[in-house]
Amino acid sequence: MAKLVLSSDGAIVFQCFVDDARLTIGRDPGSDVVVDDPAASPAHAAVVPVGKDHILEDLGSAGGTFVNGARIERHILQHGDTVVFGALHLRYVNPRASADVDLDRTMLIAGLQPASAAVEEAAGRSAESLRVPSAPAMRVRFPHAAVRFMRGPRAPGKRSLDRVVAAFGTPGTLLCVIVRRPQGFYLCHVEGRGRAKVNGKAHGAEPRLLHDGDVIDVADERVEFVAG
Amino acid sequence: MPPPLIDVAGVTDAGTVRQYNEDTIACDAATGVMALADGMGGHRSGEVASRMAVDVVVGDLAGALAGLPAAADPEALAAAVQACMIRANAVVHAAAQASAVHYGMGTTLALAVFRGDRVVLAHVGDSRIYRLRFNRLQLLTRDDSLLRDQIDLGYIAAAEAVGTHNRNLVTRAVGIGAEVVPHLRDEAALPGDVYMLCSDGLNDLVDDADIELVLQTVRANVPLAAQLLVQAAKDNGGLDNVSVIVVRVDDRVAGAAHPSWWRRLLAWLR
Repeated sequence: MAKLVLSSDGAIVFQCFVDDARLTIGRDPGSDVVVDDPAASPAHAAVVPVGKDHILEDLGSAGGTFVNGARIERHILQHGDTVVFGALHLRYVNPRASADVDLDRTMLIAGLQPASAAVEEAAGRSAESLRVPSAPAMRVRFPHAAVRFMRGPRAPGKRSLDRVVAAFGTPGTLLCVIVRRPQGFYLCHVEGRGRAKVNGKAHGAEPRLLHDGDVIDVADERVEFVAG
Repeated sequence: MPPPLIDVAGVTDAGTVRQYNEDTIACDAATGVMALADGMGGHRSGEVASRMAVDVVVGDLAGALAGLPAAADPEALAAAVQACMIRANAVVHAAAQASAVHYGMGTTLALAVFRGDRVVLAHVGDSRIYRLRFNRLQLLTRDDSLLRDQIDLGYIAAAEAVGTHNRNLVTRAVGIGAEVVPHLRDEAALPGDVYMLCSDGLNDLVDDADIELVLQTVRANVPLAAQLLVQAAKDNGGLDNVSVIVVRVDDRVAGAAHPSWWRRLLAWLR
């Protein structure tokens, strides 16, 4: 159950539950949440419920809508979000809507639009344009490391290992990747009959945890692994 | 016509938090049939529903594909795929209705069936099918999910949807209703294409940019690509079950059937 709490100097002025209906926020006395402060426009913002989300929308207010200090046009409310109108603070309270990744299992819900074959077809074709960011990776820390190119087409040079994988060697001949994981960086054989060498010794089929100063030979590339 | 020469690998994992794996996968390079299902329902019903749906489509397609004429006929293939999904829905729905324990169970279902130089893609729910072509990742399916509707209707922009709480709400699933309408799509399977089927446990935790990078760099080693994608989802939290099927249409052998200008074009585009 979500709540909007309006307070002034820490004292609660007004509070209401947010259910499945749209709520208006503004100085206008007819608003669902009346914000009696000159900083608020008569019709300032609205809260629109969609599924388990409550979306805060600016209604073209004169002063703009600021959530936790950042100006927004539309924003999916998160537990603890605060909207400031002059001396008044409006807080969104919903322990179920914390920024943590949702642990709930997959559930079925009614869709928002009638299914029509033509719409579906068109939408399916344009699906490529849609990039919903993946959920924020909470509590995950990846270590830092880099490689120094000692020989090969990219030498001399240095590159940070800041992505999930980085490739070394020659595709089709001998290719390896260094895989970034929370517990360290691993060398992994991808393709080719030959084998990469780590500090002069052949690297087997198993991923190998790399240590600072390891020198890796893959095809015509030689790199040094630099931790930290 | 037999399925094209494809390299196939699938990995499914319960993830780091859940005790059970409610995903089911099946992938077979010989038949060209790839199926992935993400089940839902209490009392481990999700496992039952996803297994049941995959078994039906794999079994039905084995018979249907054997009966199809040799030439790759996309329409006949699409009809067979649609029929097997509709039957999977009926089987899961009947089982759910007949059991107090499994009442209300359902599952997402994503299918890719390779035959000749075509591939028929079908899905219900929020399991996805991507393709890496000319080194660019494309999403080929539209999620049956509230979040997707929310974005299409302009309630929120895709880029602003990071903080959404609607990721786990699907609007259509196999087995929930007496009838289901699957989404179908027929595509050319070009030499060098990499197709990837996944459950939301992957794309909820791994960005498209990282999925693209893994498929680009590790495309030559399909089992490693599948393993690294699942591992990336688990390393990012792995809160849900994670399943991935990676299929690469062989560029060397299948490419030999194409004229040399085509191979040069492919080589140049890469």
